[in-house]
Amino acid sequence: MFKNYIKIAWRNIMKNKVFSFINVIGLTIGLSASFVIGLMVYYDYTFDNFHKDGDRMYRIVTDFTGPEGKFYNSGVTLALKGAIEDNSNFEAISEFYRERPMTVENRADDLKYKLPKFVIFADQDYFNVFDYTFIAGNASNALSNPNEVILTKERAQKYFPDKQISDILGKTVIYNDSIQTKVTGIVENFEGRTDIVFQEFISHPTLLQTRLRRNILGKNWNNTNSSSQVFVKLTPNADIASINARFKELATEHMDEEDIKYGQERIFKLQPLDDIHFNENYGIYDWSSGQASKSLLKNLILIAIFLLLLGCINFINLNTAQATQRAKEIGIRKTLGSSRKQLIGQFMGETFLLVAISTLLSLVLTSWLITVFSDFVPAGLSFDLFKAPLMIIGAIILLVLVSFLSGFYPAMVLSKFNTVAVLKNKLAVGENKVKLRKVLTIFQFTIAQVFIIATLLVGKQINFLLNKDMGFKSGAVVTAFRPIGENGLEKMQLLAQQLKSIPEISTVSLGNYTPASQSTNTTTMTRTVDGKEIYGDMQLLHGDTNYLNLFEIDLLAGRDRLNDTINELIINDAARKFYGFSSPEEAIGQTIVFEDEALSIVGVMEDFHQRSLKSEIKPMSLQGDIFRDNWTYFTQAHVALKSDSPESLKNAMAKVENAYQDIFPGEEVRLSFLDETIEKFYIREKKVSKLLNWATGLSILISCLGLLGLVIYTTNRRVKEIGVRKVLGASLIQINNLLCKEFISLVAIAFIIAAPIAWYGVYNWLQDFAYQTSISFWVFLVSGIAMIAFALIVISFKTLRAASVNPVESLRSE
Amino acid sequence: MANIILSLHEASRTVNSGSNKVTILDDINLQVEEGEFISLMGPSGSGKSTLLNCIGMLDAFTDGEYAFLGQSVHRMKEKDRSKLYKEYIGFVFQAYHLIDELKVYENIETPLLYKGVKASERKAMVADMLDRFGVVGKKDLFPQQLSGGQQQLVGIMRALIGSPKLILADEPTGNLNSKQSTEIMELFAELNKEGATIIQATHSENNAAYGSRIVNLLDGKIVSQ
Repeated sequence: MFKNYIKIAWRNIMKNKVFSFINVIGLTIGLSASFVIGLMVYYDYTFDNFHKDGDRMYRIVTDFTGPEGKFYNSGVTLALKGAIEDNSNFEAISEFYRERPMTVENRADDLKYKLPKFVIFADQDYFNVFDYTFIAGNASNALSNPNEVILTKERAQKYFPDKQISDILGKTVIYNDSIQTKVTGIVENFEGRTDIVFQEFISHPTLLQTRLRRNILGKNWNNTNSSSQVFVKLTPNADIASINARFKELATEHMDEEDIKYGQERIFKLQPLDDIHFNENYGIYDWSSGQASKSLLKNLILIAIFLLLLGCINFINLNTAQATQRAKEIGIRKTLGSSRKQLIGQFMGETFLLVAISTLLSLVLTSWLITVFSDFVPAGLSFDLFKAPLMIIGAIILLVLVSFLSGFYPAMVLSKFNTVAVLKNKLAVGENKVKLRKVLTIFQFTIAQVFIIATLLVGKQINFLLNKDMGFKSGAVVTAFRPIGENGLEKMQLLAQQLKSIPEISTVSLGNYTPASQSTNTTTMTRTVDGKEIYGDMQLLHGDTNYLNLFEIDLLAGRDRLNDTINELIINDAARKFYGFSSPEEAIGQTIVFEDEALSIVGVMEDFHQRSLKSEIKPMSLQGDIFRDNWTYFTQAHVALKSDSPESLKNAMAKVENAYQDIFPGEEVRLSFLDETIEKFYIREKKVSKLLNWATGLSILISCLGLLGLVIYTTNRRVKEIGVRKVLGASLIQINNLLCKEFISLVAIAFIIAAPIAWYGVYNWLQDFAYQTSISFWVFLVSGIAMIAFALIVISFKTLRAASVNPVESLRSE
Repeated sequence: MANIILSLHEASRTVNSGSNKVTILDDINLQVEEGEFISLMGPSGSGKSTLLNCIGMLDAFTDGEYAFLGQSVHRMKEKDRSKLYKEYIGFVFQAYHLIDELKVYENIETPLLYKGVKASERKAMVADMLDRFGVVGKKDLFPQQLSGGQQQLVGIMRALIGSPKLILADEPTGNLNSKQSTEIMELFAELNKEGATIIQATHSENNAAYGSRIVNLLDGKIVSQ
């Protein structure tokens, strides 16, 4: 019986090649999207799920709330561990400090590496919280003494390339030229996906030999550094409420005067291990891998569902439309003794076969799509993940679900036909089914239309963001960064000298960040007016006296600083307003207090955007290299080029690189264009845009294919009518209009439904931005017309051909 | 005396057409004995096909009694009725009604599938049937590749494959030329001789002559039998 079903299913598929093709395309797209997105969801949700007692492991993080909002820090004060050590709710508490050494050395083999990643100073409890497999040495007593290090197998093999693992034990590794450590253990790297990416564990007491000695000994309650991390493993019966209560007590106990004065509060929180991968507030340790985003995954899942639905709708529409053609077979089968159940089974079998074909195609497509969507797909995700039992089960469930969704309704409709009526050719297609097809078609086009409008508006906003005047010169500006590990100012000054002599360069300025950057360099400054204290965050910029000139930032009042190191302050207009000066002129000569020191304002600069246009312009100050005696702010050399023509740009860049290599031989040349930096603000928006482009394209494709199928079907049924009309003198266009009208009205209705939905969605999305493009009427108009044009092209493809058939032919068959 | 296969007692069928009640079959009384070959005759619209469909349980009488092999069909559940006709009734249609997507062999086999006959048995039965009618060479063709007469032959083979007690034929030669008609009718006569009970609806006096009894219908009523 089953074989018979499959056979007839296959023959039906082959007989209606166009319809089958449309069905398979739609389902394949939907399934491919689902598979790729399923893989991503699976990938991200299976991070750190392999740890023993992982459900009892937490990171302690710090939230700060105050009048200015909420701030998150993944670290805690160095004093915290000591204060909670005696709490019986914790089975183990591990603190570690993230500090990237400048160098690491294996002197015996004369191997030296710069800036090793993922090095931490961990206490001996680290290996009690996390369960590593020791392949040399052991966990007990590990890291209890200073100058010990435990390496992962990967690192051990890198630093000691030709040694046996057991021989590496006891060898010496030297950090930062001076910190000698002895290898006391080697552990396996975690095999599963993990955000606990650390590779080298230096014993915590060794920290006392570094620049951090004072901080470590001081254990200041009011200093929170995200490098200072604490992980805990709770006891099986731990009382989380009591832990939180204790945290609150500790926070209250150690509030300082400022906190009380400004109404700020600190909250210690337990962050579950499996939250680390998703929570952007606290971040992950490996920045380069990019953080997973639940909202992105949610949107992706939505897109997958929509695409799948569109595919299913095509299936339902085409199959119910085709019903009359199948009716005869159904009637015969019924007279031959088939029950309705058996017929439903047969049609479901056919659906399943189509879905199975689509699935096979999708699997092939999926492996390709993973590369196309490399912006979204995490680098570590490979198609092999599909072998996971959960993925396979999920895929099977999806198949059954899709088969059911697309096949069940048509099967019900088809199997219900009255046998006698069918065999007498007196089958009336119910008005209801036609109506349902219309509703489903409208639904499809509504989705497609929403995507079109959203794509255009998101594109418009991105265009707006990228082209909006930032308030300073951003084109043809290049920044050269001081090499990591390099100290001092002399070489940077030398570099500036050399750059100045390059003829293509107009201005050079030393400083730290560009006017707009990812910098979070902020401090709090205060000003007392009429006995009332104005207190708030000030963004910090540092630059020499060429800085304003180079970036073409105008002064609204006052003057620039007298020289590069004098402690004079320039504030922007936003700061001027924030601190209560009624005009730029009034601010000149006044002071603002920073850490008990009154800084005099010598100039007020115009406002410019410091970040992406998502955020408002914040109070900002520009200072010189005010601590030059101890250290320098000037770690970047900004260069304005005379021309941004590609030819001179290329020339200039080559010269800049040469100068850089001259001064910092052997170092990686670190240059960046300011306009590229600004573009990077909008990586996420660009991702959204790319995603929407795909979703739009695919949903138009699926919907139009479905429409084409319906058109083919209806025109085929109306061949005779077309013939008669032509004989009566109808023109090609008249007939085409007649055939198109019905479908175009569906698309038009879809537009009416889609427009407010799209408007609402985009409106909400735009609320993220402080500066927004307008949601213009023309965008809606254009997308509506575009959709109708698409549909018209698709429809006319068939109707024109049908209309041009010689009526003699279409009428002869009867 | 032969067994009674079916009996109708005051069986009627009425349908609602808009607000009018239309009587298609009116107080039909009919008994069919095993081994009979009945020809239903009458002009178009006299109710021949409807009577055939109702006897074949594709349609139902709306009134009166219908007993098939002693069981009251009109009181039966759909499921039992289906079982009954699957087991005992075979259909032959004017328009053959073969499944276009299936080969000759598969068309003949289909009723056995629904009866739940095992694959090996099915194979043997279909092979026998093909052999008997001498069309083994055509078993892998699709219906469209056959002439009308050949298609009807397949239709009859399909009706016969389940060894039904009763064969219902609705204008079995209506789409055939006279030579093909004669062949098919001779085949029916032969089957009847072998013991099959046959009821055919027909316009043609010639065809009716093959039967053992003629029942004349007019406007839903039996006017002579």
